[in-house]
Amino acid sequence: MSLSVATEPTHGLREQTTAATDSASMVPWNLVVWNDPVNLMSYVSYVFQTYFGYSEEKADALMMQVHTEGRSIVSHGSKETVERQAVAMHNFGLWATVERAGEDG
Amino acid sequence: MAEPFTYGRKGISGRFEDAERELLRGLFRDVVALLEPDEQPEEDPLAALVGITPNAAEPEDPALKRLLPNVSKDDGEASLEFRRLTERSLRESKAGALRAAAMGLESKDVLLDATAAAHWATALTDVRLVLAERLGIRSEEDAERVHEITDWSDVGDDDVDAYLALVYNFVTWLQTTLIDAMMAAYRAEGGHGQADRA
Repeated sequence: MSLSVATEPTHGLREQTTAATDSASMVPWNLVVWNDPVNLMSYVSYVFQTYFGYSEEKADALMMQVHTEGRSIVSHGSKETVERQAVAMHNFGLWATVERAGEDG
Repeated sequence: MAEPFTYGRKGISGRFEDAERELLRGLFRDVVALLEPDEQPEEDPLAALVGITPNAAEPEDPALKRLLPNVSKDDGEASLEFRRLTERSLRESKAGALRAAAMGLESKDVLLDATAAAHWATALTDVRLVLAERLGIRSEEDAERVHEITDWSDVGDDDVDAYLALVYNFVTWLQTTLIDAMMAAYRAEGGHGQADRA
């Protein structure tokens, strides 16, 4: 999309929370999509609409957040759910990662 | 010059010159070759059967790494474990889409149903990601610099970067028209996300 500004997750926070949440299988995870200077804005919005079933308005808002802030949490759920979604995003050519909820600082 | 992809009664259609079909087929083929795993002569047949890659490693080629990215931003071991379990099927899925798109270029006139259009969209995306890496597009400014190279007459015989830039811009234009057409098709069909159906 545009300038690739990757905001680093807050490492300190993650280290503090890892031990406490390891045993909790219900801990929510986030799917994060990162900005890149290649993927078309229309394509990113198209993927958000057609894969997640988001409205055009919501998909455009998430796409713009990726574009302007460098990343956006586009989905959340169990680790398994967001990992499956991450593979789908990679298949679409979008750069996606998963992280425990609360890591985005 | 190719005609833009458009959405109509019969589906999504496009039209290419012979030289453009050759060019696109070559690009699709190149990315398939990039995605093919390194030879593993002593590969565990059971691992192959269940689709895992026990010795998966982060790709050294940045273009391949962009196609097969890490799933965790800062947990290398988690990314590697995920790669062992999923990378093989991701490579196969991407290569399958690229091959399907290449097969669709048998004639000048291309008519795409929803599945074929989806293959084309990911195939063109992967081609653009690889070309962008080769062209050193790391920022919006880089992208704009490449985007300004539009005139074939400006390209010298041995100016590989300018040639790649023109190819990149052609593929970008093609994908722009494809996504517009796919969006029109999606709206016309009432729009239901894949995740809803899964």
